[in-house]
Amino acid sequence: MSVPRRVVVTGMGTVSAAGLGGRDMVRALHARRDSALRPVRGFDTSALPCHLAGEVDDEALDALFDRDAARRLSRICRLTVAACRLAVEDAGVDAGPSLGLVVGTEYGDFRSSGEFATGFLKRGPSGLSPMLFPGTVMNAMGAAASIAIGVKGPTVTVNQVTVSSEIALARGAALIVHGRAEAVLAGGVDELCGPVYQRLAHELGVLSPMRRPDGQREGVEGCRPYAPDHNGPALGEGATFLVLEDHELARARGATILAELRAARWGNIPVAPYAAPVARRDPRSVLRASLAEARVPGTALGSCWGSGTGDPALDDWELALLHADLGERPDLFPPRSAVALVGQHGGIGALRAAAATLDLAAGPALVHGLARGGCRAALVLASPAGR
Amino acid sequence: MSRVVVSGLGVVSPYGSGTKTFWAGLAAGACAIRPITLIDTEGFRSRVAAEVPGDAMAGLGVSPRRARADRLGLAAAREAIADAGLGPADRAEAALVIGAVGGGMLEGETWYWEETRTGRPSPRITALRSILPYTHAETIGWRLGIGGPKETVVMACASGAASIALAADLVREGVVPLALAGGVDALTRICFMGFNALKLLDPDPCRPFDRDRKGMSIGEAAAFVVLEDFERCRARGAREVAKLLGAGVSTDAHHVTSPHPEGEGMARAMTLALDAARLDPGAVDYVNAHGTGTLHNDRTEARAIARVLGAGRVPISSTKSLVGHTMAAAGSLEAVASILALHHGLIPPTANLAEVDPEIPFDCVPNIARPAPIEIALTNSFGFGGQNVSLIFGR
Repeated sequence: MSVPRRVVVTGMGTVSAAGLGGRDMVRALHARRDSALRPVRGFDTSALPCHLAGEVDDEALDALFDRDAARRLSRICRLTVAACRLAVEDAGVDAGPSLGLVVGTEYGDFRSSGEFATGFLKRGPSGLSPMLFPGTVMNAMGAAASIAIGVKGPTVTVNQVTVSSEIALARGAALIVHGRAEAVLAGGVDELCGPVYQRLAHELGVLSPMRRPDGQREGVEGCRPYAPDHNGPALGEGATFLVLEDHELARARGATILAELRAARWGNIPVAPYAAPVARRDPRSVLRASLAEARVPGTALGSCWGSGTGDPALDDWELALLHADLGERPDLFPPRSAVALVGQHGGIGALRAAAATLDLAAGPALVHGLARGGCRAALVLASPAGR
Repeated sequence: MSRVVVSGLGVVSPYGSGTKTFWAGLAAGACAIRPITLIDTEGFRSRVAAEVPGDAMAGLGVSPRRARADRLGLAAAREAIADAGLGPADRAEAALVIGAVGGGMLEGETWYWEETRTGRPSPRITALRSILPYTHAETIGWRLGIGGPKETVVMACASGAASIALAADLVREGVVPLALAGGVDALTRICFMGFNALKLLDPDPCRPFDRDRKGMSIGEAAAFVVLEDFERCRARGAREVAKLLGAGVSTDAHHVTSPHPEGEGMARAMTLALDAARLDPGAVDYVNAHGTGTLHNDRTEARAIARVLGAGRVPISSTKSLVGHTMAAAGSLEAVASILALHHGLIPPTANLAEVDPEIPFDCVPNIARPAPIEIALTNSFGFGGQNVSLIFGR
């Protein structure tokens, strides 16, 4: 009988409103206390009540690409490729058939879809750009990164709101455990989709300041996860990827092992789409299952990271589920959430996992995620020496 | 590690609703590619596609207020669940893995077209809540009470096959005892216009492997399978429809829209699937090819099949010639076609095939279904981004 593969973290790369880099950047971000959320510069939001976002500095991003590559790749693909390259360099892992890639995203290359459709609406069939069309498929970022890095193992794109990169990390670990890859780049990406999406988000009432059931907006705009006056998320953009590897192979090549991913599970609480029913409990909790698989008692956890977006109903539901599974833990709750620093986007869960990887001194870390509609994920990271 | 079997099937296809209707169309070699009715095609080179008929849509038993793709997905998922005889307790521990691309884009486009053309806000804005691919899983997971891992994978035209490969991993490794897996896609303007812009659509119904082929025909569908641990399936007295023997997943890392010229990634996916199934290439009796009908794909795929299985050794056919290229649903729809071919001992034909391209050294089963004692079937799915998935099913 074969021994199940152990999965470890050997590198990371991140691009966000707070800057870009490898593990040093993640450390700096983790230590940061002031938010990188600012009034949007990329487009006019003066007619909307939602002005704040975490925008990536284009100059710093474009400095990573030659002019030809910058022209060929859409902006969201550049974000993805940049973070993946930083992670691969940090880990020193080889490309090829044994390397996989899992990209989590909430919106994909929404901007290319908009530009493609607008071309038709302005000029008819002659206005359609064959160059833009591949970007309308959500795996465009994975395609660009697989080509840039040389990933020939499985390349999977996972679409989900709020917890896309937590699921991407769990799926990445599964690819290793199930023997489909020896190492996997896993994380997530999104970009600010532009004025059309910002207006839609405002009209659908999903950004701070969110609408109350009576249609009125309440409070001051700002992203305040788990706070009593939380009133909605602010959008961010960026990409964060971790290099996950088979433990034995990482050790054999002399890689620096930053943490062990002891367990990574995702599940579903079957509630209506977009619902966040605070009263609904989870009899099949992936959090409890992950702790059991990791052989980490809840009392041993040294830190807890949550998906806390600032959406009041979702924050409250997540806290209720965490309390139900872990009891009253003033040392862990409210969980840490990087959303207030850089804004909500598809890479934020991976950014939390990266930060947790570098902060295991107090004990194993729980990275928890919950989305409206009931998708739930739990990752348990521990010091590699701790087993 | 456990053995994975298929214990339920569900399909909504351009022939209509239900697995039986789907098989009847395939066995008859009936081409369901017709003039498009759903969207305006004025000014485009190709104006045909394989749509799900209006009367079939009306009979799905799903509210017409839902997005078209959600309606297709929910109906096919319900059939698969019923076919497998799964009760609420089974569903509560099942995984749900869905391959999707277009999401509810058709309705999102209607909103965008209306706003852009009138310059006024459209009340259709609520349609945008269903625009993203993951919304199929939200709807199906909720309506069917699926309580295991829920995941939406977007792997272009390989999405449906990938959903089966990835769900099977969860069952095989004991993460869950069973899974509902499959792909969903409805016709969208962006997809139709995009493939037209790339000049990849045939103005007439597509002719995969034909010497004079001119491209593909798009379509829409949803197809699901229930994957289950063999022992569990047997213990509850359920019907074992087929065995999922192996799955291979690879990436070209070559080009966004063109396959590797030698089919290196395609061949690797097939080889990985054979390795996982512990089968020699000679064991494969039939290949349900990706077979889109584009010049490059068909030749490259033939080259890759020849490299792995041997030139001319095995009959191959493309069911896309019958039901179009149903995008994210194609891989799971063709998985169901392969399973039914095994079950009935009949190879579905390649329609509209007059003369086989001399660079495709295979018997492509032209126009008429052929009885054959098939024990092992391999099905290929490839997609933009160099995504390759091969699945192997056995009786």
